Amino acid sequence: MYLTSYLALAAILFSIGLYGVLTKRNAVMVLFCIELMLNAVNINLIAFSKFGLFPNLTGQIFTLFTITVAAAEAAVGIAILIALYRNKETAEADQYNSMKG
Amino acid sequence: MNVLWIPLFPLIAFLLLTAGRKVWSKGISALIGIIATAFSFLLSLPVLWESLAGGKTIVWKIPWFHINQQVIQFGIEAGPLNVLMLTIVSGVSFLVHLYSWGYMRKDQRINTFYAYLTLFTFSMLGLVISSNLLEIYIFWELVGVCSFLLVGFWYFKPEAKAAAKKAFIVTRIGDIGLFIAVSLLFWQVGSFELSDLKAAVANGQIEPAMITWIAILVFIGAVGKSGQFPLHTWLPDAMEGPTPVSALIHAATMVAAGVFLVANLFFLFEASETAMSVVAYTGGFTAIFAASIGLAQNDIKRVLAYSTVSQIGYMMLALGSAGYVAGVFHLMTHAFFKALLFLAAGAVIVSLHHEQDIRKMGGLWKQHRWLGIWFLTGCLAIAGIPPFSGFFSKDEILMSVYADGRQGLFSVAVIAAFFTAFYMFRLFFMVFSGSYRGEQKIEGIPRVMMIPIIVLAVLSTVAGFANTPGRLLEHWLVTGSGVASDSLHHAPGWIPVLAIAVSLLGIGLAYVMYGRKRLAPEAVVKAVPWVYQLVYRKYYIDELYQMIIVLPLKAFGWFLHGWDRFIVGGLVHLSAWFVSFLGSVGSRIQNGQAQTYALVSLIGLILLIVGLTAGRLFE
Amino acid sequence: MNLTGEFVAFFILSVMAIGGAVFMINFTRVIHMALALAFTFFSIAGIYLLLNAEFVAVIQVLIYTGAVSILMLFGIMLTKHRDEEKGSIAPWHSVLSFIAAGAFFGIVMWIIYRTPIAGEQVDLKQFGVARLGEAVFKQYVIPFELASVLLLVALVGAVILAKKEER
Repeated sequence: MYLTSYLALAAILFSIGLYGVLTKRNAVMVLFCIELMLNAVNINLIAFSKFGLFPNLTGQIFTLFTITVAAAEAAVGIAILIALYRNKETAEADQYNSMKG
Repeated sequence: MNVLWIPLFPLIAFLLLTAGRKVWSKGISALIGIIATAFSFLLSLPVLWESLAGGKTIVWKIPWFHINQQVIQFGIEAGPLNVLMLTIVSGVSFLVHLYSWGYMRKDQRINTFYAYLTLFTFSMLGLVISSNLLEIYIFWELVGVCSFLLVGFWYFKPEAKAAAKKAFIVTRIGDIGLFIAVSLLFWQVGSFELSDLKAAVANGQIEPAMITWIAILVFIGAVGKSGQFPLHTWLPDAMEGPTPVSALIHAATMVAAGVFLVANLFFLFEASETAMSVVAYTGGFTAIFAASIGLAQNDIKRVLAYSTVSQIGYMMLALGSAGYVAGVFHLMTHAFFKALLFLAAGAVIVSLHHEQDIRKMGGLWKQHRWLGIWFLTGCLAIAGIPPFSGFFSKDEILMSVYADGRQGLFSVAVIAAFFTAFYMFRLFFMVFSGSYRGEQKIEGIPRVMMIPIIVLAVLSTVAGFANTPGRLLEHWLVTGSGVASDSLHHAPGWIPVLAIAVSLLGIGLAYVMYGRKRLAPEAVVKAVPWVYQLVYRKYYIDELYQMIIVLPLKAFGWFLHGWDRFIVGGLVHLSAWFVSFLGSVGSRIQNGQAQTYALVSLIGLILLIVGLTAGRLFE
Repeated sequence: MNLTGEFVAFFILSVMAIGGAVFMINFTRVIHMALALAFTFFSIAGIYLLLNAEFVAVIQVLIYTGAVSILMLFGIMLTKHRDEEKGSIAPWHSVLSFIAAGAFFGIVMWIIYRTPIAGEQVDLKQFGVARLGEAVFKQYVIPFELASVLLLVALVGAVILAKKEER
């Protein structure tokens, strides 16, 4: 079954991205991994668009929107990172602990 | 309504002393106590006079509270017995208050001491005029509390602390008996009033077996309070309290409360032959048992304590042998001469810097001639030498026992009389004759302490004539009480002679052994070492109780303590540790880093999914 | 499974994608990571092609492999970072993350292989750039316009955020 293979691929990529998000110290790398996770989701959407129970184009269109939002997210994310870097003088994610109560 | 005021004066004094504990100086607080008890005593004299003049029983009652439809009264009922007790208690109490001013002069907490003493006087006075059993029970417990407070007055001494606890706990055993008896009586009769109870017993409303049980339970209460065997162990230990307390509580009044209770509920005992036998045998056994222990003690107060136990055994023996008047008569004379002996002993102790061991005394006759004379008066009274009061009352007891027909008990009583004479004069010779064996200087005795001693000595001498020619006391006591007069007319005339002979024998033996030192006590001890050991160690009763009651209870207590500490406490600590562990983990997770939060939410998600789907695995 | 061309292509592309992702995680230099990620994005574009999503594949190459990777490179360069990635924050954190991610992966895989999906080969005629454009500009025109607004907002927001604060 092809669908299963695509979903498995997506799952593998997603998990790798998840692990990276949780462990990487560099905030830029965290953003990288988030992009990876989004891509894994996109693979899912497109695979369902072809092999799903009701195959149609909606999956692809949805992917287009996701890519758009992801691009915007990456832009804003980098902007926030730069602003943070300016304040904190570091790009290490574990130094950003101002949420501590 | 004079009677009502008699116990109220000490109560007011108690409240004043407690409220102004920090305000009054030592002298004022002592004065408050002395004046209050003096008022009580003065008020009790007209009451006594009225009663002696053939006055009726004073009854005064008000409704107290209701149980269903049953009204529980609160009141006073003062028949001859109550009035007699009232006078004795207030009188002795007044004298002891006076004496305490001398004895306790140097104590820092004299205000507290007087407060306790007045509270005790109030409770005891309340006890003797109570009209129903509930009141009696309340005052009974109050008396016990005061005893606890006063025995433990020098609470910084470990012995005093232990003695106070022991007094409280041991008497409690008896109190439970009394409590059950009171409950049973209420269940059977539906009233606490003594008059109702008397009527119920007279009508045969209670089954004979039940009467026996109730009487025995009441007697158990009396055993606890009066220090009868087997609950006598607290009384000698209670001598750790100040000597005035010993004189007031443990000689003259409180321990007499048991005798008073039996006498007050005498109608119950009369209705049951078994109960009478129990009282008589317990009393007789205690009389000789305690007297024999008294032979070998070396502490001046302990000798007197055992003699108290023994004398109260006599009273119980008299009551159990239907010698109502004899018992009460001995109660009265004993109150005088025992208070005298204790107060004199207290004077001896004061003059010897609180030395209580008679082996370190001696030769006081030279320094304190008058004290010696008063002490001798007490000794003669308790030994039963005419014309001192003890002779008459003891004689009556012996006659009652003989008339009751229990020959074994009669001989026991005679032997106990011999023992009594012997140990009292052993005490006297050890303290007053020979040469001084202590190291410290003998000091003078404050005059304020001598006054009560003199008064009591006079009373001890003359109190016996209350009943001797004319049987005045008997007629008065029997009036209206429904108790039959003692049938002493059948007693043979040789009994007084025998009693005197036995007492003289005891005195003579004591003189030979301790006065002239012809017969060394050590030789006697060597002849029968194990008997001496047995007596000296008080028949090992304390050790026995320690073994069979205290140790198992202690072991059980330790077990419970361990259970509480390790099992229950362990659980508590474990849960506390677990919570604090969770807290520390939580605070470590709360480190402000988004990645940690993300990790936690991921774990939460996984747990959620597993929790929601795990069940399907097993379908 | 037959050794068809599609399967071979899928196999190669997925190995490339996963390999790129793994390299990205394991490289120590940030610049290498960025390149590995770009490689993964490129492989994913290939996967899209296999799935008859030609337009999305092109967009993927344009936006991800091109724009986003370059953006990230800018981000890397603009922030002073240690060249050497120092590994994860704390050992317990790393281990726990690995376990959690692994557990998540296991659950997802279990669900995937457990769910029977009656996939049927579809009529490929309705797939295609023309049909896609039709759907986007007819059926999904409002979300499309909203997406453009979103992009504008993101643009402005990013500029404001990244602008140097005036002291």
